[in-house]
Amino acid sequence: MRARSAFFAGMGSAAIIAVGWQAGVGTLVSALPESQASASGTSNSVSTGTSATTSNSSNTTDSSAAAPAAATAPVASGPADGTYDGSVVNTRFGTVQVQAVISGGKITDVIAVKLTDADRKSIQISQQVAPMVRSEVLTAQSAHVANISGGTYTTQAYLQSLQSALDAAGFTG
Amino acid sequence: MTLTAPKPTSAAARRKNVATQREIQIKKRYIARLRRGDLLETIVYFSVAIVLALFLADGGATYFLSLKDVTTGIGIVTGLVGSDLMLIMLILAARIPVIDRTFGHDKALAVHRKLGKPVLYLILAHMFLLMIGYGIAQGLNPIAEAIDMIVNQQDMSIAFIATGLLIAVVVTSLVIVRRKLSYEFWYIVHLLSYGAILLALPHQFTQGMMFAEGTWARWYWMALYVGALASITIFRVIIPVASSLRHDLRVSSVDIEAPGVVSVTMTGRDINALRAQGGQFFTWRFWAPNMWWDAHPYSLSAHPDGRSLRITVRDLGKGSARLLSLKPGTRVSFEGPYGIFTDASRTTKKAVFVGAGIGITPIRAILESSDLDPLEATVILRGSDAQDVYLWQETYDLCVEKSASLRVLVGHRPKGVNTWLSAEAYSKGESLLTLAPQIKNSDLYICGPTPWTDLVVRDAKRLGLQDHQIHAERFDF
Ligand SMILES: Cc1cc2nc3c(=O)[nH]c(=O)nc-3n(C[C@H](O)[C@H](O)[C@H](O)COP(=O)(O)OP(=O)(O)OC[C@H]3O[C@@H](n4cnc5c(N)ncnc54)[C@H](O)[C@@H]3O)c2cc1C
Repeated sequence: MRARSAFFAGMGSAAIIAVGWQAGVGTLVSALPESQASASGTSNSVSTGTSATTSNSSNTTDSSAAAPAAATAPVASGPADGTYDGSVVNTRFGTVQVQAVISGGKITDVIAVKLTDADRKSIQISQQVAPMVRSEVLTAQSAHVANISGGTYTTQAYLQSLQSALDAAGFTG
Repeated sequence: MTLTAPKPTSAAARRKNVATQREIQIKKRYIARLRRGDLLETIVYFSVAIVLALFLADGGATYFLSLKDVTTGIGIVTGLVGSDLMLIMLILAARIPVIDRTFGHDKALAVHRKLGKPVLYLILAHMFLLMIGYGIAQGLNPIAEAIDMIVNQQDMSIAFIATGLLIAVVVTSLVIVRRKLSYEFWYIVHLLSYGAILLALPHQFTQGMMFAEGTWARWYWMALYVGALASITIFRVIIPVASSLRHDLRVSSVDIEAPGVVSVTMTGRDINALRAQGGQFFTWRFWAPNMWWDAHPYSLSAHPDGRSLRITVRDLGKGSARLLSLKPGTRVSFEGPYGIFTDASRTTKKAVFVGAGIGITPIRAILESSDLDPLEATVILRGSDAQDVYLWQETYDLCVEKSASLRVLVGHRPKGVNTWLSAEAYSKGESLLTLAPQIKNSDLYICGPTPWTDLVVRDAKRLGLQDHQIHAERFDF
């Protein structure tokens, strides 16, 4: 390689790496101290009315008894409105637990109580993957959605926890 | 008194003019090739830079914030860079035309070979560092972590197998260099590298973030994997098969040139479309019993005439010896043409061709194919006796036709002297410079046994020839 080209190749490579670094600064900052909080808070974007969702993150399974259903139209036999806790699932990258919010016979929200956080990488994966799984679930109205590659552990544990919440709610899709 | 400038009408002047035109053309072509080479090399550097950039963009730098994560961070980076370079190795071995035309097949493979060990070390580092790094995170020692990975984690057992295959491939390649194993054995083991790449893929999906949805990394790695595997399939399988079918080559004659040396002429359809040049080689497969499973590279020994291709082969081993009994009518399939041991790699107008033994045959072909003005070329041939100067009459006739000067040095080398010359020439004080006085301003083409070739190259460098002026074809892998 001629000297001039070698120089350009070196400078170009440095520039590419610098761009990557710059792009990574955002994640770098968010992955610092308060990452835990943001990891579990990612999903309260849409708080679709109904019951007082986020506040009751008490880990004890207070499931179905939560909302006295009230006389909500003749939809009848469907699951009662409310927020249902899923089981706690352990993975090698940390524990995962979610809550399902059921309203009018539909899954209206999934709240992550706890997500994988063993190291910075898994925090990052959680942050990236959880919102994707959540939106898949809301669209599919079920815990049977495709795996998000690159975040297999989080996805699987998330869905497993969700399924137990749905079971507790008597939600059958 | 009026003075009119005399028009340059003399034949000599016109030729001079044309000659400079040609010189400019050769230089242009050479510069274009250099640029292309620089561009391709730059792409390789960029690919590593992109891998690092994607890692950083994904927040990779966070690993380096705490001592606990550093091992994991380096482990991931070595895995990423190792995978990138491994795919580049594949691309280098795929015989992609632009790479062949720019660097030559032999140089591409030399780089491929050079990358082998570093890639293995990177992958091993990746494995061991993550065993330690994840072990720390889980509170396990590295061995326990490895066992946990293999037993409990998705796709990790096959990833470990992939590493084992990789070790086998690299080790057999190092051994083959010392010729302790047969080429066929090495070849089979080498195919395992595809297995290694495929077995390593799943864990990159399930464990790593290389293909994580919604990331740039996903696109980069998909493009690289698909590109590398597709180029192997296209250029090493589909095109050779299609080309062999299309040209429908058959052996038309087998002529004995000397004891143990035959010329094989093959005739087929539409040979011009191959655009083969004298000095290039093909990998040939002859569809005769006892031969069809064994493919060998042989150079063209004549410039293609549009109907046929000719090779000249010496029985240096089992495979080449079988060609002596080849029958006319045998079907031939091939891969190629490959290589830039041709007129295409010229950097200047003048040329010196040096050949020894069976290495004379591509020298003869490149002489025939080359664009040369009278008195621009010198041909030097070596053989341990007169019979070893293969294709001697044809080469002589070509030299007469092109007004090239021809020197033939016959006889063994002098004892105890490190020279490529015959004892007789050596005692007369001959050298590259006396044999080819224009050599310093020429391109030098050399083909012969490797130790002999190295001595010619050594002498050329002592005379001050630059690397780009020296073109050597090596017949061993
Ligand atoms: C680019 C290229 C172009 C080639 N062009 C020609 C050509 O035009 N004509 C031609 O005859 N050969 C040519 N060869 C060499 C030829 O391909 C090999 O000699 C042949 O493949 C050997 O196969 P084999 O089965 O006969 O020998 P093997 O069974 O593989 O080898 C048998 C023995 O022969 C020795 N041997 C093999 N090849 C060589 C060699 N080249 N020099 C010294 N010892 C050797 C080995 O060390 C081994 O001990 C070319 C090689 C390359 C890479």
